[in-house]
Amino acid sequence: MWMAAGVDAEDKLDAAAARQVLRRSARLLRPHRRRVVGAVAMVVLWTCTVLAGPYLVSVGIDRGIKEGNAAALNLAVAGYVAVAALAYVTNRRQIALISRVGEDFLRELRIRVFRHLQRLSMPFYDRSKAGVLVSRMTSDVDSLAELIQLGLAMFVSNALLLVVSLAVLTAVSWQLMLVCAAALPPVILASVKFQRDSNEAYLEVRDNIGNTLSHLQEGIAGVRVVQAFAREDVEVGRFERGNRELYESHMRSVAISAWYLPVIELAGWGTTALAVGIGGWWVHQGALTVGTVAFFVLTLSNLFEPVQQLSQLFNMVQSAGAGLQKLYELLDTPVDVDERPGAIDLPETGDIEVERVSFAYGDGPTVLRDVSLRIPAGARLALVGPTGAGKSTLAKLIARFYDPTEGHVRFGGVDLRDATLSSLRSRIVVIPQEGFLFNGTIRDNVRLARAGASDAEVDDALRAVGAYERFAALPDGLDTEVRERGSRLSAGEKQLVSLARAALADPAVLVLDEATSSLDPGTEALVEAAVGRLMEGRTVVVIAHRLSTAERADLVAVVTGGELVEVGTHDELVARGGAYTALYETWVAGTGAEPVQ
Amino acid sequence: MSESSESTARRNGWRLIVREAGRRRLGIAIGVVTGLAWTAAKVSTGVIVRQAVDEGIERDDMTALRNWAVVLGCVALASAVFTGLRRYMAFREARAVEASLRDRIFAHVQRLHFAFHDEVQTGQIMSRANTDLQQIQAFVVMVPLTISNFMTVLSVTVILVTIDPLLTLLALGSLPFLNLMATRFSRRLHPHVMAIQQESAELAAVVEESVAGVRVIKGLGAERVQAARLAAEADDVYRASMAAAMTRARFVPALELLPNIGFIAVLGYGGHQVLSGDLTLGALVAFNVYIGMLVWPLRMLGMIVAQAQRAVAAAERVHEVLATQPEVTDPPRPKPLPAGGGELRFRGVRFGYGRAEPVLDGFDLTVRAGESVALVGATGSGKSTIARLIPRFYDVEEGSITLDGVDVRELRLRELRRAIGIVFEDTFLFSDTIGANIAFADPDAPPEAIERAARLAGAHEFITALPEGYATRIGERGYSLSGGQRQRIAIARAILADPRVLILDDATSAVDPTKEHEIRDALAEVMRGRTTIVIAHRPATIALADRVVLIDGGRVAAEGTHQSLLGSSERYREVLASAAARHAEAVPHDAGAVVAGDGDGGPPGRPERVGGAVAGRARGGRS
Ligand SMILES: Nc1ncnc2c1ncn2[C@@H]1O[C@H](COP(=O)(O)OP(=O)(O)OP(=O)(O)O)[C@@H](O)[C@H]1O
Ligand SMILES: Nc1ncnc2c1ncn2[C@@H]1O[C@H](COP(=O)(O)OP(=O)(O)OP(=O)(O)O)[C@@H](O)[C@H]1O
Ligand SMILES: [Mg+2]
Ligand SMILES: [Mg+2]
Repeated sequence: MWMAAGVDAEDKLDAAAARQVLRRSARLLRPHRRRVVGAVAMVVLWTCTVLAGPYLVSVGIDRGIKEGNAAALNLAVAGYVAVAALAYVTNRRQIALISRVGEDFLRELRIRVFRHLQRLSMPFYDRSKAGVLVSRMTSDVDSLAELIQLGLAMFVSNALLLVVSLAVLTAVSWQLMLVCAAALPPVILASVKFQRDSNEAYLEVRDNIGNTLSHLQEGIAGVRVVQAFAREDVEVGRFERGNRELYESHMRSVAISAWYLPVIELAGWGTTALAVGIGGWWVHQGALTVGTVAFFVLTLSNLFEPVQQLSQLFNMVQSAGAGLQKLYELLDTPVDVDERPGAIDLPETGDIEVERVSFAYGDGPTVLRDVSLRIPAGARLALVGPTGAGKSTLAKLIARFYDPTEGHVRFGGVDLRDATLSSLRSRIVVIPQEGFLFNGTIRDNVRLARAGASDAEVDDALRAVGAYERFAALPDGLDTEVRERGSRLSAGEKQLVSLARAALADPAVLVLDEATSSLDPGTEALVEAAVGRLMEGRTVVVIAHRLSTAERADLVAVVTGGELVEVGTHDELVARGGAYTALYETWVAGTGAEPVQ
Repeated sequence: MSESSESTARRNGWRLIVREAGRRRLGIAIGVVTGLAWTAAKVSTGVIVRQAVDEGIERDDMTALRNWAVVLGCVALASAVFTGLRRYMAFREARAVEASLRDRIFAHVQRLHFAFHDEVQTGQIMSRANTDLQQIQAFVVMVPLTISNFMTVLSVTVILVTIDPLLTLLALGSLPFLNLMATRFSRRLHPHVMAIQQESAELAAVVEESVAGVRVIKGLGAERVQAARLAAEADDVYRASMAAAMTRARFVPALELLPNIGFIAVLGYGGHQVLSGDLTLGALVAFNVYIGMLVWPLRMLGMIVAQAQRAVAAAERVHEVLATQPEVTDPPRPKPLPAGGGELRFRGVRFGYGRAEPVLDGFDLTVRAGESVALVGATGSGKSTIARLIPRFYDVEEGSITLDGVDVRELRLRELRRAIGIVFEDTFLFSDTIGANIAFADPDAPPEAIERAARLAGAHEFITALPEGYATRIGERGYSLSGGQRQRIAIARAILADPRVLILDDATSAVDPTKEHEIRDALAEVMRGRTTIVIAHRPATIALADRVVLIDGGRVAAEGTHQSLLGSSERYREVLASAAARHAEAVPHDAGAVVAGDGDGGPPGRPERVGGAVAGRARGGRS
């Protein structure tokens, strides 16, 4: 779609890759093989009928008209009627079968690729660009769909048509065919050049469309900033330049077909002229029949059409093949954080144990160093520390978004790497800072946490975080559409919706990573109290920059520069005079209140 | 929609197309002329073939044959040249129309008020500027082509009638059905094509959200929910595609069958005519050639009717966007912004995003020139709304806002917005370099100015630590920054604009207190002598301001310094819960207002108690 289409420089397939793609597609198509065979048979039959028409006309002329044989003429007419009927039937079957197989294939591919995308772990998402991932499921699948819906049958039948036409023409009169073949070299040369140029132009157009559309999208998404800084004129100017480039690339592409089409048209009529001229001369000499000349005239004018279509379709086939290859690559991407065979379900409750954990993102620097921490079941732990210290990273390891580079994370004595992913995800829930809302109503957004939840359960979850009355008071109540990314709600309200998800999910361990940063402290305290009631006896890990949250926790862990420097209760740590005392004093100085001793 | 408004809409659609195409009339006229030239060449080829067969082959006249063959070659050359030209001209003008409409849509949408953007989804505007324009473009392309196609059909019919009227009837008799059927086909197929597009867009939206929100999905273990949503969308796409395929399977074979009826009639009836000597063989061959020649033009003529309808429907939608009047515009006689220090005055302001129950009602506030004011209030109390009213992102429903004594509605928009710098609570950065993002207000700003702004926002350090420094690209195709880093870039962007009034809407929520402490001094320098509105929840940030204003119930509930409000306003203590708890003993207050058990040895501020107490009143306060 409009997502900055992930256009890769290499959008062509080499032969080896093409073979691989074909082989793999054949494997995927195996369950449909009877339909595939049927479709191929129909395409072949249909192509034959297309050729049989002009042939019967020539037979009618030669055997019937020229020889004054009315019966032969009638026979040719009757044959033509039969051929027409057959053409109708085979054409219909052919379209139905190809669409059926193709659409089934596409549907399966979409679901498979998406499932795999969902299984892939955070390290993969760190490496990949969102726009490229989206374009796999959109433009790459679409180019395949386009081929199936419009091109595949045409491609096969045009290729057949071309070959069979040439063969039949040669069989009818190889001499005349030889004369007409004079047109072939220029046509082939032009077609090869056209195919190459137009593919290039097509890629350029596609690039430009991608750019224009993503520019358009950014212009709309960022319109508030543009207007706030009165930059409309500059942005409009920039857009117009991009749009102009798109127009010019369109024109280059049109120019290419504008020179190529005449070549094909000329070849068609030029060879017709040759057939009439030289063929007529041979008729005069008695070497050829008029019917043969008529057959050539009728066939030649349509012979080059398949050539032209083939060279256009070739691009379609090529980009579909490239798209398919990229999809297969994605399907082959290994899942780094996966379930091990023989994995077991996590126990219902248990202590979280972080044992000598070190971690680095990819080949990046070490972010956590030798961290050990035990969170007793039912405790409320606050993780504090400066930006970039590694708090969120530690939280992500506890939820197994990543696996530690060294050391172990255990829940109830089970190493997370030995646990089934489904039990892991239902025991440990993470609510991140951005209250990311999906298109849909407030209720839909809460229900994300548990698909089967009833309206009443959703309402209870919203009540639990104290947000029910607020949203129920809206004109459409809880069925209010939050619009794109929740633009209809205030910043804090978005976070409330995302917190209600936690209430609905009802996990054994809840990790709140700055999930209340946009709330006013009053509401924040309310939410924390609610979470406290809701998670009574279960574990909560909170990350917050406001130390008021730490004050309310059972345990405070201070992370600085990737190391766990202090653990203890708030009072202990304040009294200790270490890193936490310093943080706390900065905080309290800011509140303008006297620190509590 | 009533009938008359429907026809008005259609008229608007047509008018849009005609006006845009009218501006390209010279090119379109050239396209039509070359198209007609092509028609003439193409049509004459049939006549020539016939002459060649009849005069050359049949009469055994080799000079005639050679001459006709040469003429055929020349005409073929002309036809080839014109077919290329006709195509080029048709596409050139159609693409130009498309490009010009796209420019217009973008320029218009960029200037439309926020309330429009609140209502309309990005995807909708995208499809106006993309698929709808494709429809219009496809129609404009067809205009010159259609004229020459129509002439082809007409002249071929005339030629054939002069040869043999009855055979013409037999040969072409079935072809009007071709035209009719093509119209029907196109009309039937279109809803399915639109459905495929619609469903594919919905599928893409699920994918896009799932990728962007992958942390949320994984955090909640909602992979299956999303997979089910996607499967449902994939099924929808499948159904729509199959419906289209079935329509195609019904019509396409029939469309290809119809010309065959003509060929058969010519061979059957025409063949016997030749046998009986009433028709020449050349004429028979010519008939065949002509039928073949008419197949595509007739199909195209069938399609243009349907295409025209589609294009008009698309043009109606485009017109709807272009006809949306910006609600926030320059006044007819704008007043100049007087020199001043940026005094802001809200008088009796009422506003509510068009809802019955307003967010702000009777809001009065004066911010003196150079003063800094912190807005404090509960979530959803309307703080951001106040910020949005100052640069006229929305216009007040009642009351007024003045900047240095002039109503903001009497100022030129550009001048007003240039005088105000705002940092939004949700940071939006463009996919461009960090430097360009900071210099957004003034693309020509020298590097020193950019660096100074970044320093003041506490961003210089981390930017220079990036591999490419200020030239690092951010956004979709570049480096991803943390929330706190993004916020600091947005602050630098506002600082660089050097505005008279600076608005910071919860601009440091993702910055840690220690870092915030560091940039506080720098911010204080920026704020010195500049009117500043700070929206914040953290006492430390609030303390930056000279004066604090508490927003509650849509109006100013209390004002004073942070300290004095802590003492005097119960609501203020509620909103800043922890401070309230801390001051439970220090400050006199209503009985039972704050944590009851704080004195009796329990750890201070245990969540249940503070939260419980606040919860009761926070609810009470809102209802
Ligand atoms: N996905 C990632 N890929 C590479 N590096 C990362 C990634 N996420 C975080 N980092 C780096 O790891 C370090 C620790 O980051 P982390 O997000 O854990 O910090 P934090 O303590 O949560 O900070 P904050 O308070 O800003 O949220 C930082 O230097 C950060 O740049
Ligand atoms: N674009 C909008 N359309 C309709 N209603 C809106 C829109 N933006 C905000 N609202 C509503 O207006 C009210 C005030 O919102 P506003 O964003 O001003 O709150 P806020 O005080 O900034 O809250 P927060 O502290 O959470 O940011 C809220 O109830 C919100 O739901
Ligand atoms: Mg973090
Ligand atoms: Mg706000």
